[in-house]
Amino acid sequence: MRQIITITTVFLFCCLSANSQTRNINGTVSDDGDVLVGAIVTAGNLNVITDIDGHYSMEITDTISSFSVSYMGYKTRTVRIKDNLETYNVQLESDNRQLGEVVVTGYQKIDRRKLTASVSTLEINEDNTGSVINIDQALNGQVAGLSSVTTSGAPGAPAKIRIRGTASINGTQDPLWVLDGMPLEGTDIPAIDDLKDIDDIYQTSIAGISPSDIETVTVLKDAAATAIYGARAANGVIVITTKKGVEGKNRVRFSTKLTYNPKMSISRLNLLNSNEKTALELDLLASDYNFRSKKGAVSQIISSYGETESYKSGGWEALSDNAKADINELRGTDTDWNDILFRSVFNQEYDISLSGGNQNAHYYTSFGYTNEQGNVKGVGNRRLNLSVKGDYQFGDIFKIGVSVFASERNQDSYATDYNGFTNPVYYSRLANPYFEPFGEDGTYNYDTNVQGKEDSELDFNIFEERENSHNRRNDRQLMAIADAELKLGQQFRITSQFGMQYDSYSQTRYTGENTYATRKEKLFATYAYPDGKRTFLPEGGIDKTTSENGKQWTWKTMAEYENTFKGIHQLELMLGNELRHTENSSVYSVAYGYDDRTMTSQPVIFPSETSAQSYPLHKESHTENAFVSWFANGSYTLLYRYTLGGSIRFDGADMFGVAKEHRYAPLYSVSGLWRIDKERFIQPAKWINGFSLRASYGLQGNIDKNTSPYLIGTFDKVTILPGNVETVISTENAPNPSLCWEKTSNVNIGTNLSVFDNAVNIDVNWYYRKGAELIALQMLPLETGFSSTSINWANMENRGWEIALGTRNISRKKFTWTTNLNIGINHNKVLQETVAENSTYPSRQGYPVGAIFAYRTAGLDESGYPLFLTSDGQEVSATELLQLNNAGASTLTAAEQRDLYSYMGTTDPVVSGGFINNFKLGQWQLNMIWTFNLGMKVRVQPSYSPTSYDRGMNVNRDILKRWTPDNTDAAYPTLMVSSDRPKEYIQYSEYNLYSMLDMWVKDCNYARLTSLRLSYSLPDTLLRKLRMTDASLSVEARNLCALSSSYENFLDPETMGNPYAQPIPQSFIFGINIGF
Amino acid sequence: MVTSCDKFLDITPTGKVIAHTGEEFRALLTYEYKYIPEDRGLASFRSDEFQFDRSSTSSEDYASFFDIWAWNDTAQQSTTTQFGWRRYYHAIYISNYIIEHQNEITDATKNEISQLVGESYMMRAYMHFLLVNLYADAYTACNPQNTRGIPLQLKADVKTVPSCSSIDSVYQSILSDIDSAIQNMNVSSWDLGLNYRFSIRSAKAIRARVLLYMGNWKDALAQSAEVLEEYGTLVDLTQKNAVIPCRYDSPENILALEQVMTNLYKGAGQPSKELVKSYRDGDGRKSNYYKQITSSSTTLLKGGSNEFCCSIRTAELYLIAAESALETGDTARSVSYLCSLLQMRYSEKAWKGDKNKEGYESEIRRMSVQELRNTIYEERRKELAFEGLRWFDLRRCGRPELTKTYQNESFTLYNKDSRYTIGFPPEVIQANPGLTKWNQ
Repeated sequence: MRQIITITTVFLFCCLSANSQTRNINGTVSDDGDVLVGAIVTAGNLNVITDIDGHYSMEITDTISSFSVSYMGYKTRTVRIKDNLETYNVQLESDNRQLGEVVVTGYQKIDRRKLTASVSTLEINEDNTGSVINIDQALNGQVAGLSSVTTSGAPGAPAKIRIRGTASINGTQDPLWVLDGMPLEGTDIPAIDDLKDIDDIYQTSIAGISPSDIETVTVLKDAAATAIYGARAANGVIVITTKKGVEGKNRVRFSTKLTYNPKMSISRLNLLNSNEKTALELDLLASDYNFRSKKGAVSQIISSYGETESYKSGGWEALSDNAKADINELRGTDTDWNDILFRSVFNQEYDISLSGGNQNAHYYTSFGYTNEQGNVKGVGNRRLNLSVKGDYQFGDIFKIGVSVFASERNQDSYATDYNGFTNPVYYSRLANPYFEPFGEDGTYNYDTNVQGKEDSELDFNIFEERENSHNRRNDRQLMAIADAELKLGQQFRITSQFGMQYDSYSQTRYTGENTYATRKEKLFATYAYPDGKRTFLPEGGIDKTTSENGKQWTWKTMAEYENTFKGIHQLELMLGNELRHTENSSVYSVAYGYDDRTMTSQPVIFPSETSAQSYPLHKESHTENAFVSWFANGSYTLLYRYTLGGSIRFDGADMFGVAKEHRYAPLYSVSGLWRIDKERFIQPAKWINGFSLRASYGLQGNIDKNTSPYLIGTFDKVTILPGNVETVISTENAPNPSLCWEKTSNVNIGTNLSVFDNAVNIDVNWYYRKGAELIALQMLPLETGFSSTSINWANMENRGWEIALGTRNISRKKFTWTTNLNIGINHNKVLQETVAENSTYPSRQGYPVGAIFAYRTAGLDESGYPLFLTSDGQEVSATELLQLNNAGASTLTAAEQRDLYSYMGTTDPVVSGGFINNFKLGQWQLNMIWTFNLGMKVRVQPSYSPTSYDRGMNVNRDILKRWTPDNTDAAYPTLMVSSDRPKEYIQYSEYNLYSMLDMWVKDCNYARLTSLRLSYSLPDTLLRKLRMTDASLSVEARNLCALSSSYENFLDPETMGNPYAQPIPQSFIFGINIGF
Repeated sequence: MVTSCDKFLDITPTGKVIAHTGEEFRALLTYEYKYIPEDRGLASFRSDEFQFDRSSTSSEDYASFFDIWAWNDTAQQSTTTQFGWRRYYHAIYISNYIIEHQNEITDATKNEISQLVGESYMMRAYMHFLLVNLYADAYTACNPQNTRGIPLQLKADVKTVPSCSSIDSVYQSILSDIDSAIQNMNVSSWDLGLNYRFSIRSAKAIRARVLLYMGNWKDALAQSAEVLEEYGTLVDLTQKNAVIPCRYDSPENILALEQVMTNLYKGAGQPSKELVKSYRDGDGRKSNYYKQITSSSTTLLKGGSNEFCCSIRTAELYLIAAESALETGDTARSVSYLCSLLQMRYSEKAWKGDKNKEGYESEIRRMSVQELRNTIYEERRKELAFEGLRWFDLRRCGRPELTKTYQNESFTLYNKDSRYTIGFPPEVIQANPGLTKWNQ
């Protein structure tokens, strides 16, 4: 039997061979633009592979009627062979379900060739971003139109991110962060306005994610991209896609970063040294300037000898030798506060990950540890994070994925008293250089000068404070995301995602018995008992604990349909629903008489109900919100060239005290894409690799949840008369019945051009955003009973350009040089602003929202008081300018006062961006990241107040350049005496006139070398010997230098507006990356 | 589907409320009762009642109150306590809100609603009264028709920018509000524990004070007489264990609203020596009001907790009646009111006298009109010391020159000094610069 078959086969084969002739077929394989190298062309049992030009050629027998072309990531195509045709150019269609260039929007994965929106994607790796501890730091300068400003140099401090300028005033200005499709809660950064806020240790939920687990970050900028997210996306969206396992063998990656942060120098601050400070105090004591005249060591020494009067009349010579000797001793003592309050630190980070998978399952597991210590002694942040991710395929139709991200962070900082006074950065600037913190026997010397008060007997020593207090915050985060996808045929699928996020923290502020903060708190709790005054707080320390739990879940379900008709019409539709629920609760409790060794506290015996009410021992809060959204989007593409898209969303939320019809706000966008490079008239220009044009328009809205048309109150219990507890309703928010949604319309026009074999790639976007009926807080006349309310206040526009230019300057076998230049130019203008009738500060109408106005000055007059320049060019005194009355108040109307100001500039950068260079030479690689912000102004704090400079504190050298009768050609005004010009004195001391002078508005333009990094990858030969897949070593310097307009008297251009923020540290990093 | 969504979204935030029921409207007003500023106590530092010195004034108190005490209004320390402003107007806003929404209140009887509305009128009147006496000239020390008063707020409105009315318009509005209050209220007096609330009796008592401050002697006399006829109880302070008359549970107390001498104010200084010395022998008030600790230090017994809440009491009405009767020319009636009060203050011996010494009573009965007037002022000072009335009395009775000394430095408030009126706080002017303008 077998023989028969064999014979037959041979026969048939012979027949075929005998009867057939061969012929040639050839052609080019491409996708819709590029030729495909290595595509497999199969005809019968023959295979050929396309060459470097995408060309193939093969001999076939003419009995073969078809051949197929396949290429990884593309749909396999079968072509019929026609009798008289030899050349078959085959175009393959990407199978974007498998691979290919897709953009992850968090809701969908969109084929880049159909992308109508303005989106930037950044791959997160150290070659691109340098070593960063938090992902928000990585975005600095990397994406055109995204500005990232560091708020403080403290470890774990969040960066303030703005996408395309400021869109809202009252509402959040922070972008929405999305992790693998789940929008995160707890990412907004509170405004850092005063000293006290700086001392709050604060972290956003982003800080729990290790950058080493992140694959890409996608920034969604225009309405076409963000409309699907609804109201929360008004400030743009940042989508994080985490790493996942890939098919193949199991891989292990290990990396470590060892960082050295040298101690920064505060010499830039130009603080007075002991000699200068002593001389200043002597000068002031001899003068009429009597603000806090008993402060300062000089005054105290002279008064202790009872020689104040004789010094005032007779000067230095009139002092006794003992007094002179004591004062000279001050001159000789120079305490280096910088040296003892700050330190150099060494930080470490370790990450390890395991990943792998096969066709049916992938996994990725990682573990990381970071220990980051601050330059301020006692400040640090540690993070442990773990992520586990897996996805599983069941047949062709069902897929599920589960990921869990867990992290724990521990932050240490200093505890401060409630005026924020014991902040070491603050103290280092105000402490007297002649003050020695320790006595000869090592005991604490107490500083009674630096307390911001006329008369204070409280003992304060910064070292004692630090020794006996702590401020610790522990954050725990757990995020879990489950995805499921069900395919129903080729056209239809249903996906669902359920995500949960738990964030909890507890913060302990402990101040021991021997601290200024505790002494101060006890002093405030003084009660007049029948037998005399004393504090009612028990002996011992104070322990304040806050813990907060945040919980959210989001459940979204989407149905998607996708089909191609007649080969040229492509239609994609999506319809979805999202439910979201958030819950937040917090508990605050205080223990007095606390001993941190025994962990015991003592009961407080309150002398009266009133005092008990002012010292609540326990507080709780709870908030809950729910959201329902419906959304749909769709796109139609013709010939792969023209795409039209649209999306719409209805957001509903619980809003107490808001009419039900306002619950849902519609938000929508329409957009289009034209891929010009696919047009016939462009095809001949071979040097053009890609050319497309896109445009979008969308509308977004936002409502202020805190303002209601009704008078909303909160319950409380009070006691008015003894023994009678009653319920009260407190109403401290003014109702506003006329408040409506704020609406932002968004236009984006963009083009992308790549030429010369993709050596030059330029992406240009022009955008226009107009916010109408923006909500802002308006100061109310206090006679209304309220201090402020939210109103629909303004119309504002942001218009600008974003240019991302990527070039491959040199590309040789051994050496390549590439650059990326990202520039965002944003012009913000307030189109219309309702200025409150009672406002004395000018309207920003016609100016940017960050406009700074100031009084123009013209130097000083003959007594050293500032002279003001009026609009008609006259030089006048403050009295004449403001028409002061006897009580030092202006008699001008509010409108007249507004007109006295001049526009100085804006606080927001006009141009911001990054310039990134990458050089590769063999195994070596050098990266350089410059980031820049240009065109800003900043209002700095006056270096000293002319009416209330406290001589007990140190100050910078500006005060030496003040006007005195001997120095009439001075830059800074005289120290004023209340009797000289009483009206002006009150105006300068009670109102903020002085800080509103033009001399305190400074230019702020800077470029910073954020990262300079050199790395070496081990060559393959060595890797094979070591059985590694890859390995590299790197050294990096971060924040090495800054080119800037003058920032004299400040440490960094970034922190000029806030001199008490911890400065931005320099760091030097050694890194190792190994993969097996 | 939509309904179930609405249900999902119907979350009532914990603790938040929009007032609908009578109870909730009451809770709105209770909040305002609770947080009325204790500025009458703070103003006491400006009067001649307190002495500051290094031994009794702590550095914290110095930082908070010294510049008020020393009338230093031009270069105050930044730590100086500010007199209230917004809180008064917040109470006025809530009063207006209740008056405007009275027809929407649910779950309450007509009487309850009407009482609440009456109290709201009274709250509005009393707040305007305190403001005009702190921030504008005394009614009797100027021409009230064309002197700047304070802004009147008669509507719950956050949109209009208010401006000042004349002193006379403010007083006319206060009187008309008190009339509306009396018409609406139906509780003649509250039980102990709730006696911080306005009642018909306390409204009439306060009206007597307002009329007195206006120098409207005839009506002040009629009004105080009317209250005293209905309720004129006095406590005999010469008895052992007498209740201090400004306690909330003293039978003399008509309105137990303000604490005046809070614990914070009470210990900031010592009662002025001159004041303590002015009490005659046998005056029961001295031991009830003050405690001698050492030869040089005395502490105040009035105030310091909510047990000492008192805004008006019967003794003041006797003094109002005595003063207004005198000014209307009815000396006999004046003496009779004064004596009714004082016989409950002085020991039998001091009042009636004995064979060695003439009693205070007969001394009074012999006095000339001017002597009697001075005696009434003097007794007001002694009787109502540290109850937040002295500063107002100084303002309406001649604005005399005052001198104080602190560590050898002396401070003078001159006769008819402009500092007898406190200026608007800077943050008030910042929020409404038009307020300084006054063109009738």
